Amino acid sequence: MRAIKSVLLTCDPAVKEILIALNEKGSFIIEDLDDYHLVIKADEEWRVRRELEVELEKNTYSLET
Amino acid sequence: MAEKRNAEAGPSEYPAKRPRNDDDEEDIAIDYNEEDAIPPSPPETNLVPRGATINFSALTRKLAEARRAKETEPSNLSSLDQHRRHQDSLVSHIFMDQDFSWLHLKPDHASRPLWISPEDGHIILEAFSPIAEQAQDFLTAISEPVSRPAFIHEYKLTAYSLYAAVSVGLQTEDIIEVLKSRPPKVPVPDSITSFIRERTLSYGKVKLVLKHNKYFVESSHPETLQLLLKDQVIREARVITPQMDNSIKAATFTTSKAPVKGSLVIPGTGKEANKKKDDGKPAAATPADADLFTSVVGVEGDEIDEDDENVHAFEINDARIDHVKKRCNELEYPMLEEYDFRNDTVNANLEIDLKPTTVIRPYQETSLSKMFGNGRARSGIIVLPCGAGKTLVGITAACTIKKSCLVLCTSSVSVMQWRQQFMQWSNVTDKQIAVFTADQKQRFAGDSGIVVSTYSMVANTHNRSHESKQMMEFLTSREWGFILLDEVHVVPAAMFRRVVTTIKAHSKLGLTATLVREDDKIADLNYMIGPKLYEANWMDLAAKGHIANVQCAEVWCPMTPEFYRQYLRIQNRKRMLLYCMNPNKFQACQFLIKYHEDRGDKVIVFSDNVYALEAYAKRLGKLYIHGGTGQVERMRILSWFQHSPQVNTIFLSKVGDTSIDLPEATCLIQISSHFGSRRQEAQRLGRILRAKRRNDEGFNAFFYSLVSKDTQEMFYSTKRQQFLIDQGYAFKVITHLEGLDKMEDLVYRTRDEQIELVQSVLLASESEADLGSDVRGADGDLAGTVTSKDFGLPGMPRAPAAQRTTGSLTALSGGAHMSYVEQNKSANKKLAREVAPRHKLFAKREKDKAAMKKAAANAAR
Repeated sequence: MRAIKSVLLTCDPAVKEILIALNEKGSFIIEDLDDYHLVIKADEEWRVRRELEVELEKNTYSLET
Repeated sequence: MAEKRNAEAGPSEYPAKRPRNDDDEEDIAIDYNEEDAIPPSPPETNLVPRGATINFSALTRKLAEARRAKETEPSNLSSLDQHRRHQDSLVSHIFMDQDFSWLHLKPDHASRPLWISPEDGHIILEAFSPIAEQAQDFLTAISEPVSRPAFIHEYKLTAYSLYAAVSVGLQTEDIIEVLKSRPPKVPVPDSITSFIRERTLSYGKVKLVLKHNKYFVESSHPETLQLLLKDQVIREARVITPQMDNSIKAATFTTSKAPVKGSLVIPGTGKEANKKKDDGKPAAATPADADLFTSVVGVEGDEIDEDDENVHAFEINDARIDHVKKRCNELEYPMLEEYDFRNDTVNANLEIDLKPTTVIRPYQETSLSKMFGNGRARSGIIVLPCGAGKTLVGITAACTIKKSCLVLCTSSVSVMQWRQQFMQWSNVTDKQIAVFTADQKQRFAGDSGIVVSTYSMVANTHNRSHESKQMMEFLTSREWGFILLDEVHVVPAAMFRRVVTTIKAHSKLGLTATLVREDDKIADLNYMIGPKLYEANWMDLAAKGHIANVQCAEVWCPMTPEFYRQYLRIQNRKRMLLYCMNPNKFQACQFLIKYHEDRGDKVIVFSDNVYALEAYAKRLGKLYIHGGTGQVERMRILSWFQHSPQVNTIFLSKVGDTSIDLPEATCLIQISSHFGSRRQEAQRLGRILRAKRRNDEGFNAFFYSLVSKDTQEMFYSTKRQQFLIDQGYAFKVITHLEGLDKMEDLVYRTRDEQIELVQSVLLASESEADLGSDVRGADGDLAGTVTSKDFGLPGMPRAPAAQRTTGSLTALSGGAHMSYVEQNKSANKKLAREVAPRHKLFAKREKDKAAMKKAAANAAR
C-alpha cells in the first residue's frame, strides 16, 4: 500500500457529478465519500479546478458589451 | 447589469452564475437568429489561455494613459484643478477604457440628472431625480431608450433618433440648447453637439414621394439631388423614361452642358407632361426648366408639397427602392417619407371612423401624435408592450388617414383577429374590409377599403393559384394610403423587402412589442419602414395601471444527482428533456401551483416541450392544451379555466404564446422555453399583463421561470430575460422555496421514484425533446412565428399517424381485466366524460313529468 497525497473536496451533488464525468477522461478521484465529499489527488487539484471552471462557465450568459 | 444576480449561490461553494469580465471575446458571436430551430449550444469556452487572446482593455488603458500624460503638461493650473488631476490619476486606472475622469462635473452636478458619454452618445439618466420626468420626455424625443430599470436609465443618441426628433419639429439648436442648459452633470462634449448638428441639418432635404404609382426622389435643393446622383447605387436605380423626348425639351437638354444634369431632366419632364395633362395647370415649371436649372425640372403645385417653391425630382425603380433608401441614409441624406393624406385627391377616401365609444389611452395618443405630428402621416415604428393595445393604435392611425389600407400580420389567426378588431373599434362595414389568406380571397367593394393579409401571402414568389395571382395584381396595381405592419420584428428582411417594393404605399406604420432580433437586421427596419417613433416605458404603463404590475422570479432548482449524471453523459437534444423533467423542478412547480391556487390566483404553466407538458399535467392532475388537443376539448378546457373555481391551473404549450387570450390568468410559471428567445419571454409576460384584476389595490401578477441549476438552461434563461430587464423588470432569484419540504403529497419525493422518472425519460425518443413539435402553422403563416418546427409547407399532405387495430391492445395487456386502473390519467379525459349534474329544479320537473306520464298511462288503462 502506497500513500498518496490528496485533498478533500467539498462540493454539491451537481459539481460532484461533473467531477466524476471529468474523472473518466483523466483519473484523479481517489475516493468517493458521499454526495458532498470527494478525495482527489493533490497535484491534480488545480487542473481540476480549472476544468471545472470551464465547465460551469458554459452555462453562464454574459452581456455582449 | 451583469451583476444582477450576485445572489446567494445556494448550498454550493461556487457561484454558479457570475458576472464575467468584458474581455472574453470568444463568447460573443453566438446565436444570430434565435427563431431558428437549431439552438446554439452555449459558447465553447475552450482552454485557450487568456494571454493568447488580444487584451483590448489593456490596450485602451495604455492609450488612455498616454492621453493623460499629455494633459498633465500645463503647470499654471489652479489648486483645485491640480487637486482634481491628482484625484483622477489615482482612480482612473480602475475604469480602464471607460475612464472619463477628465470630464469634469459641474459644481451643482448633484441636482442635474444627466450624464452624457462623449464617445458613443450614451446618456445616463438618474430616474430618481425630481426633474427626471421632464428630462425623460425630452430624452425619449431625441434618443432611443436602451435600458430603463428603476433608478438609472440609459438612452442612446443615434442618427435615427435625431431624425425622428427633427421630424417631430424640434430644431437643431433647441436640442443642443436644452441639452446644455439644465440637466447634464458635465458640459456637453463637443463631439456630441457636432454629431447632433451634422445629423439634423441634412435631414428633411430629400423626400421620397409616391405619385401615380411611381416613386420619386424629390428635393427643393437641386444640388442635393445631384449629389445623390453622383452615387452609383442611386444612379443605377434611377428610371429613365425615354418616351418623353419631345422636341422642345430635347432642345433644352442639348443646350445644357453637364451630362449628369442632362440626364436628370427626363423623368422630371415626363412628370411635368403628365402634370399638364392631368391638372391642366400652366407649365409654370417650364421657365424654371429653361433658366436656372436647365436640367432639373420643377414640379409646381404638387399636391404633396404645400410651399410653392420649385421641387425637383427623379424617378427611381421600384425594385431598388430600399437600396436607395439605405444608401441615402449612409450618405446622411435620409429620405423623409411623409404623406399629406388630407390633400391627396388622387386616392379615394375611406369613410371610417372610430366608434364614439372607443377611447384611446394617453400613451396611445402620444404615440399617434408622434406619427401625425405635423398633420401628415410619417412612416415609422411604434413600440408598445404586449397587451397595451397596439391594435387600437393601428386602427386609429388607419381611421386618421382614411385612405385605402393594407394590414399585414404574421399568421392567418391574427388576420382574423385584426379584422375582428377593426369591426369592433371602428365603424368599418363588412364590405369595406377584406381578407386575403390561403383560404379566403376577398376584395372590398368600392374604391377604397381595408385588406388584411399575411406577409407570406404578399411576399410569396412561388406559384400561386389563379385566384391569388389576381388578388396580388389587385394589390400591386393600386396605391395604398397606408400600410400597417404587425409584429415587424419577426419578418425576415428579404420578405420585407419584397413586400415593401411590390406594394405601393404612401405611409407605413410598424407595430411591435419587442424590437429585438438576434441578428443585426433591426437596423434595416430603419430604412425600410422608418425610424422608431415611439417606445412606451413598460414600468410607466404598469404604474398607471394600463398593464399589470408583475413580479418576476427565477427559481433555481438543483438537478438531482441521477439526472445530472445522465445530463453530463448525453450530448444530444435529450439533455433538454432531462433538465425539464428534473424532479426538483417538478416539486417546485407543484409547490408554486399549490401556493398560488391557495391565494386565489389563476395559474398558467407554460412548457414548450410537449413531453414534459404531458408528464407534468398528468402527474399533477391538471388540464392541459397543446397542439394535439382538439378544438372542442380546447374550448371546453378554456371555459372551465375561465369560469370554474375548481380549475385554477392549466398547462399550455407554445400554442398559448400567441393565439390564446386569457385575461383571467394572474400567475405564470414556465418550465421549458424556446432557448434564449427574448421575444418569447416578453410575449409570455404579455399573457399576464392584461390581467383583468390589474386595477385592484396592490395587485401583483407573478411570473416564474423554473430553471435547472448547472445546466444550459441557466444560460438561456439569463439571456431570455435581457429584454425585460432593459424594460425595467427585476428578476428575483429564488434558490429555496420555503415550505417545500413540508408539503404533503409532494411528487417524486423518494429516490426510487426519481430513478424511475429518469429511466422513463431515458426511454423517451430523442424527438420528444423537440420544442413546439405540436404546433403546426397554417398555410400562409410566416415561418417561425407560430414557433413550430413544421411550417406546414404546402404540397406536402400530411399522412395521419398510422393506427391499426385488429384486436384490443387494452385487452391484450390486461387493461380489460377487472383490477385494471389507469393511475396516471390525463385530467382532460376525466373532464370530457363528466356530465354536469342536473339542476334540482330540472331533475324534479323530469321526475314529475315521468310521474304524470305514468298516471296518464294508468288512467288510460
